[in-house]
Amino acid sequence: MEKYQAYLTNEEYIPDFSKKRKNRIKESIVDRSVSVLNVSLLFALVLIVVVPLLSYFSLAFSDPYYNDEITIFPTHFSLKAFQYILVGNQAKLFWKSFANSVIITLVVTFVSNLVEALAAYPLSKPDCPFRGGILLYFIITMLFSAGIIPCYLLMSQMKLLNTIWSVILISISNVGNLLLFKTFFEGISSEIQEAAKIDGASDIQLFFRIVIPMALPVFGSCCFFTIVGMWNSYGAAMMFISSSSTEAHPLAYYIYLLLGKAALDKTDDFVLMGERNIQAAAMLLSIIPILFIYPFVIKYIKGGIQIGSVKG
Amino acid sequence: MTEKLDTQTFQNQENSNWQPPQLDKKEDYFKKQGRRIKKHYRLLPFIVPAALFSLIFSYVPMLGISFAFKDGFNLTRGDVLWNLSHYGWTIRNFLDIFYDESFFRAVGNTFLINILKLVICFPLSILLALQLAELKRQGLAKAILIIVCIPNFLSWVIVIGIWQGFLHPDTGLLGKLLFPDRVVMGEDGLFKFFVVILNIWKGVGWGSIIYYAAITAIDKSYYEAATIDGANKLQKAIKLTIPAIMPTIALMLVLQFSGMMAAGFEQIYTMMQINPELIESQITLDTYLYEISVVNRTNIPFATALGVFNGLIALILMLVGNKITTKTLHRSLW
Repeated sequence: MEKYQAYLTNEEYIPDFSKKRKNRIKESIVDRSVSVLNVSLLFALVLIVVVPLLSYFSLAFSDPYYNDEITIFPTHFSLKAFQYILVGNQAKLFWKSFANSVIITLVVTFVSNLVEALAAYPLSKPDCPFRGGILLYFIITMLFSAGIIPCYLLMSQMKLLNTIWSVILISISNVGNLLLFKTFFEGISSEIQEAAKIDGASDIQLFFRIVIPMALPVFGSCCFFTIVGMWNSYGAAMMFISSSSTEAHPLAYYIYLLLGKAALDKTDDFVLMGERNIQAAAMLLSIIPILFIYPFVIKYIKGGIQIGSVKG
Repeated sequence: MTEKLDTQTFQNQENSNWQPPQLDKKEDYFKKQGRRIKKHYRLLPFIVPAALFSLIFSYVPMLGISFAFKDGFNLTRGDVLWNLSHYGWTIRNFLDIFYDESFFRAVGNTFLINILKLVICFPLSILLALQLAELKRQGLAKAILIIVCIPNFLSWVIVIGIWQGFLHPDTGLLGKLLFPDRVVMGEDGLFKFFVVILNIWKGVGWGSIIYYAAITAIDKSYYEAATIDGANKLQKAIKLTIPAIMPTIALMLVLQFSGMMAAGFEQIYTMMQINPELIESQITLDTYLYEISVVNRTNIPFATALGVFNGLIALILMLVGNKITTKTLHRSLW
């Protein structure tokens, strides 16, 4: 009918697929059920990720007396748990470990990436002297480590036990990042570097003014992974810092001890009742810096960069 | 590659009737390195800081391997160097490993956890990537990915704290519903189950990104051809997508195998704190090493020997993994 009308009015006939479902390629039953199952499974996964997060962190905002009423959102709003951690009797422990984590993360991120990028630059030249030997020297440290005791004894000889410097120094060497930088620098065209050299740039100027700015994406992504790794890890701290030297604890180690209920002041009535609320509040506070760099993850996922998942 | 470049630069310097130099190999090597040093000597100091850090914090501890060969070495008197010169050499500590019951239990637990991760966690990441790629609106897929990646950026202690709270018999949402009278995460029989569950919760989103990226790189015309041939979505996923991302899957599989000796120290040791009995029964290689070298430091030579042994096996696994990927996938692991 429409076709006939179009013929009468001398217009071009354009079939309207949105109205007539018959004209579409019909989806098979398998396809439709796969789609439905797919969407519902993904929806379930999102719930599985989000619900425990919301439900647990509701504790931090709730009055301990009503803990058993919590489902997903806070009930009987209260900030007492935060008050206890941030300004209470033992607030010093939290702030000290927070400061330690900030120092560890910043120093390791800055020094480690700078040092590895510096070393990767000469190694990215195909005619670097003793290139194979130097690379082997670095790769061996990545593949084999002597174990806990030799590192512990080294730290004790250097008088670094129970200080944050033991964690910082053991974490600086990162050969994976060195190889990543090397691969990236190999891709930077040598013409630009030659041109800068002719203009009179020294090697250090060349590195900081040309190579690093060009490698900024990979540099940023290495820094990001170092920040996340250092902020969240506490294995090294558990090896070199005893649980009694609270002055040197990173934040994750503080939370580890808080979860073991060793760091709480048992004489306080509020603590006896609301230790779980306090734990939740401390964890929530420690996540805040991660939230600030999460936009980077979002950019990473949207852009589909492949660095970091696989090295090479 | 390097040889070719060198000859080219050499060739450019000489005139056109250039003949290959008739030098024996040794002389040629030194000449080559000498020329390279002359060209790049200003760049060599760049390597020094990284080399120093590796030297002090990786190679100097390797000297400490000698403690493993000392008889009865301990730290109760004197300093390390005094101690080293006062004890005799022995290989007994390495032999002791094979008479140690805890060691075999640790190896068994470590392998079992890794096999469970391989069978359950590993395919789930691939499945999630397939599901996300299947969505019509890719914006939605990326939004889901952004949400399910959140747990990956939380510390293990926080992940365990969240699940401990979520399963708490009195106040946890799931605990109240399913297990109102017991602490399930502290139970011996369910320990490995929860190790795997927490691994999935933390890592499945982040693990799927690499496969998702590989899937989105597949040429769309293959799918159009398959649709015209009458393939349904399931057939397309199994017969087209999975073979196309097989190199990525194989690479990740080899990486997983190479890490067989470690089961994740932070996760497992923190989960053990829920019920201290688990430290004995659910012992893994990492936690056993930590227990004997940090918590009770009674037999230092044995702890060192076990650490060295562990490191050597891990090294061999990495080298084998690298061999496999260079042979089959033509790329090195590092």
